[in-house]
Amino acid sequence: MAADLVLDTAIRDWVLIPLSVVMVLIGVLRYFVSKLMRSNQVPDAKIIKEGQLIIRARNLRAAANFIPPKSFRARRFYFSNEENGLLIVPKGQVQNAQAQMFSDPNMAMDMMKKNLSMIIPQTLTFAWVNFFFSGFVAAKIPFPLTQRFRSMLQNGIDLSTVDVSYVSSRSWYFLNLFGLRGLFSLILGEENAMDDTQRMMQMSGFGFDPSKSLGAEKDSLDIVQHDWALPKFEHRAEAVLKKLAI
Amino acid sequence: MVSKTEETQLNRLENQVDNGGGGAWEYLCLVRKLKVRRSEKVLKHGLSILNDIKKRSSLGPDEWTLYEQVAIAAMDCQCLDVAKDCIRLLRKSFPESKRVGRLEAMLLEAKGAWAEAEKAYSSFLEENPLDQVIHKRRVAMAKAQGNISGAIEWLNKYLEIFMADHDAWRELAEIYVSLQMYKQAAFCYEELILSQPTVPLHHLAYADVLYTLGGLENLQTAKKYYASVIDLTGGKNIRALFGINLCTSAIGQLAKGRNKEDKESSELQSLAATALEKDYKQRAPDKLSLLTTALKSLKVSS
Repeated sequence: MAADLVLDTAIRDWVLIPLSVVMVLIGVLRYFVSKLMRSNQVPDAKIIKEGQLIIRARNLRAAANFIPPKSFRARRFYFSNEENGLLIVPKGQVQNAQAQMFSDPNMAMDMMKKNLSMIIPQTLTFAWVNFFFSGFVAAKIPFPLTQRFRSMLQNGIDLSTVDVSYVSSRSWYFLNLFGLRGLFSLILGEENAMDDTQRMMQMSGFGFDPSKSLGAEKDSLDIVQHDWALPKFEHRAEAVLKKLAI
Repeated sequence: MVSKTEETQLNRLENQVDNGGGGAWEYLCLVRKLKVRRSEKVLKHGLSILNDIKKRSSLGPDEWTLYEQVAIAAMDCQCLDVAKDCIRLLRKSFPESKRVGRLEAMLLEAKGAWAEAEKAYSSFLEENPLDQVIHKRRVAMAKAQGNISGAIEWLNKYLEIFMADHDAWRELAEIYVSLQMYKQAAFCYEELILSQPTVPLHHLAYADVLYTLGGLENLQTAKKYYASVIDLTGGKNIRALFGINLCTSAIGQLAKGRNKEDKESSELQSLAATALEKDYKQRAPDKLSLLTTALKSLKVSS
C-alpha cells in the first residue's frame, strides 16, 4: 500500500467547501422555486372517497371483534357483496392510470413542473461539477472501507490502487445530493424538506391504482374470521371488580 | 383526541395566563393546535394581544392567524362586533381570500341570516365540493335552525364521502338519539367503536342505546358492553355499574320461566352492586340509602 496521499489544503478551500455550499444553496433555491410553481390542485372526490373507504374497511377489519356478529356480517356484506358492494370495482371501469394521466392535462402539467424543478438544476450542477472538479480527490474519510464502496466514493477516478477512504469530487457531489435532507429540514422546517430520493420514489409510485387497493382490501375483509370479543369482557370485568372489592 | 399530558399542559398554561403570568400567545397556539373550544379565554387573551400594538407587531405574519382565531371565538361568544372588526381587517389585507370569505359567511350565520349564509356556503361548495369545514357548517346551521332532519340529511351526504370521520359519526349518533331513532344511533355507535375500539365512552353510549331498545338479545349485548366499559375504565364508571344492574334485572324479568341464565351473570351484578356501594360510601355517604333502596328494588324484580 502506498504512503498516504497528501491532499492540498487548496482543495479543501476551493473544491470541498464550495461544492457543499453550492449544493445547499441550490436545494434552498429549488425549494422556493417549486413553492412558486406549485398549483393548489383540487383533489378528486372519487380518490378521496376511495381513501376514506379504505380507512373504514381497514377499521372494520382491525376492530371486527368489538361489534356483534350480526353487525359485522351486515357491514361486510355492505362492503363486499358482488352486486353493489362498495369495495367492488366494476370491471369496465378500471381505468388505466396512465391513460387517466394523459386525459388530464393538469396532471401532466403538474408532473412536468415537478420534474423541471428537479431535473434542470440537477443536470446543471452535475455538468458544472463535471466540468470544474472532475477527476480529483476531494476528501478523505477517517475510517477504512471495503472495496465495495469504491464505486460509491470514487466515482470518476479509475484507479484501483487508491485507498477506498478517499472521496472523489463527483462522489462528494452525489453524497451531498442525497444526504442533505437533515440539513434542509433544519433550514426549511420539518415538512418542507423533500430530498431527491423521496422524489424519485414518488415518481416511481406514480402509477398507483386505487382500484387495486380496493380489491386487496376486499380480499382481506373476506377472510376475516369474526370472533366476538365481548363475551370475554364479562369475565374480565368480574376480575376487575373483584380486585376493587378487596 | 386530546391526550392527558396535553390537557394538563393546556390547563397549566391557562392558569398561568389567567393570573397574569404571560404566555398568552403560547396558550393560544396550543388551543389552536389541539382544536379545543375555549372561546371565552381565547377571546379575552387574544384581544389583549391584538389591542397591544407592540405585542401584535411582534407576531409578524402570525398576526392574521390570531385575527382569524379571535374572530371565530368572538362569534362563539356572540361578540359579533369584535368578530366583525377582525373580519374587516382581514378582508382589507386579503381581498381575494376564500378563507376570509368563509369567515364572513360564518358571521352571517352567527347573526342568524340563514338564507344569506346558506347562499354563501353553497357558492363555496360549488367551487370546492370537498371543503369539510363548510359541509360541517351547513350541518350546524341546519341544527341551529331546528331543522333536525335537514341536519341528518347533510350529515349523511357528508359521511358518504368522508366516511372515516368519526366526529361526524358521533354527531349523527347523538342526533339520532335525540330523535329516539335508536336503531340508527346503534349503527353509528358501532361505527365509532370500530374506528376507536378502546374508547370506553363509545362502548357506554352503545350499551345505553341497546338497553333502551330492549329485547332479550339487545339487553344481553348491552350488558356485555357495560362489562367492557368496566374493564376499560377499571371499574370507575358509575354509569356502567348501574347499567350492569339494570340489564341483569331486566334480563331476569324477560327470561323468567325459561331456563335460568348461568350463575356468573348474577355474580357480576352483585360485584357491581358492591362496587357501587363502596363508591357511594366513599364519596356521597348521605345518598347511600337512596342507592340501597334502588338496588333492592332491582333485586326484587329479578
